[in-house]
Amino acid sequence: MTDYLGRRNKIEVKNLTRRFGDLLVLDHINFTVAEGEFLAIVGPTGCGKTTFLNCLSKLIPTSEGDIYVDGEVANPKKHNLAFVFQEPTCLPWRTVRDNVAYGMEVKHFPKDRIEKKLNDILNMVGLADTANLFPNQVSASMMQRIAVSRAFAVDPDLLMMDEPYGQLDIKLRYYLEDELIKLWQTLKSTVLFVTHNIEEAVYVAERILVLSNKPTHIKAEVLVDLPRPRSLIDPKFVEIRKQVTELIRWW
Amino acid sequence: MAYESVKVEKPLSLILLPILSVFTFFSAWELIVDTGIVPSTMLAAPSAVIKLFLIKLTDPNPDGAILAAHAWTSGKEAFIGYLLSLAFGLPLGLLMGWFTVVRGLARPIFELIRPIPPIAWIPLTIFWFGIGIEGKVFIIWLGGVVPCVINAFVGVRMTNPTLIQMARTYGASDWQIFVQLCIPSALPMVFGALQIALVCCWVNLVGAELLAADQGLGYLISMGRRLALPDMVVLGMVCVGFVGAVIGYAIERLECRLLAGIRR
Repeated sequence: MTDYLGRRNKIEVKNLTRRFGDLLVLDHINFTVAEGEFLAIVGPTGCGKTTFLNCLSKLIPTSEGDIYVDGEVANPKKHNLAFVFQEPTCLPWRTVRDNVAYGMEVKHFPKDRIEKKLNDILNMVGLADTANLFPNQVSASMMQRIAVSRAFAVDPDLLMMDEPYGQLDIKLRYYLEDELIKLWQTLKSTVLFVTHNIEEAVYVAERILVLSNKPTHIKAEVLVDLPRPRSLIDPKFVEIRKQVTELIRWW
Repeated sequence: MAYESVKVEKPLSLILLPILSVFTFFSAWELIVDTGIVPSTMLAAPSAVIKLFLIKLTDPNPDGAILAAHAWTSGKEAFIGYLLSLAFGLPLGLLMGWFTVVRGLARPIFELIRPIPPIAWIPLTIFWFGIGIEGKVFIIWLGGVVPCVINAFVGVRMTNPTLIQMARTYGASDWQIFVQLCIPSALPMVFGALQIALVCCWVNLVGAELLAADQGLGYLISMGRRLALPDMVVLGMVCVGFVGAVIGYAIERLECRLLAGIRR
């Protein structure tokens, strides 16, 4: 099985369903993610995006269905899953460098591999100067960059991001989105990016899944076939943005 | 780009005011005794205490030991009891905070024993250990272990749940989360426990020595009472306070060093 660009399918989500008592939140969701794909998921507020991600990352069990990595049921102990949360998740007692290393340490990467990876990533995201500072000495955007770097550092099979830049101002957001794309292009990771910001989704993603209101299912799929770097005022960009907006509008 | 740490100077008022308050306190104390507002049979003036302090440095009479020997005995007992309470209480509290099995097993017994004041154990302790050092160490241990368990427990419970989720998505085991997240998160509370336990140990030490001892600062206080020497009582009290403050200060310095990243 391959996607439209001929890449093989890495992640398969089959019949993902989640109920809380009588409340059906996720309703038989099916989709695949290709190896190295950048997939964005957008949906109206309260459509169950967080539940969706919690199921995918195996933080909470599913009611039915499952997520498969290379044909096997995903298991955080076996597969490299990484998650960037909306709120900062820096460990305050570790330096920036050791924070980025945390995921690799949990997964028992060898020492020399950790060192090499740290040097590469810290340079790439411009954290090399601040590597020995503690999180309370760096800015909020740097904290989020630490979390993103930590996630990319483990060479994840699937990297999930839950509105990672939702709390930052617009200028920083553009800057960090470019940085994210650079990381993704260099490290060739498979990324699943959840956001409610449509422009952001069109800016970063190769493909967008639009979720419906509860009970949530996939309402539409939009390919974003634009060259990079993308321009926010390119007519084609605007057209795709309008298309997604139409799909998502619930008013 | 250079990132330099900024040195913050202590305001002058925070240096001068403590000196002023200590000076005023001791002057007032000296005055109310010297002028006879409080008779010297009830309270000793600081000058009398200092005089006795200088005498007791070398003279073992009338209580049988020089001051250094009393302080050494007390310090030894308190230190052993304190260390044992940390060694037992902190791991127990930390484990209770994270592992349900430990919490389920240990909590009911802990809650039953906790309200019994350590002093109430003294009669049993004398049956078991006599009036030697073991009995006093046991009483001190009982006093210190309770705050250690409670603080370590609460510290682990206060671990940021998002951090735990983050670790889980990387596939961290329960033990990894406990060691790498819960214990460092609990450290500020654990350091609080070091201070509180020290006070509890030190307080119980004096209690234990008042009842069953032949040497120590608590014994010095009770001898002062028996011999009707208020200066000796106050000297014992001052030594207890002074040694406690010195150890407390040392722990605070250590805490600042170790928790550099956590302080905001």
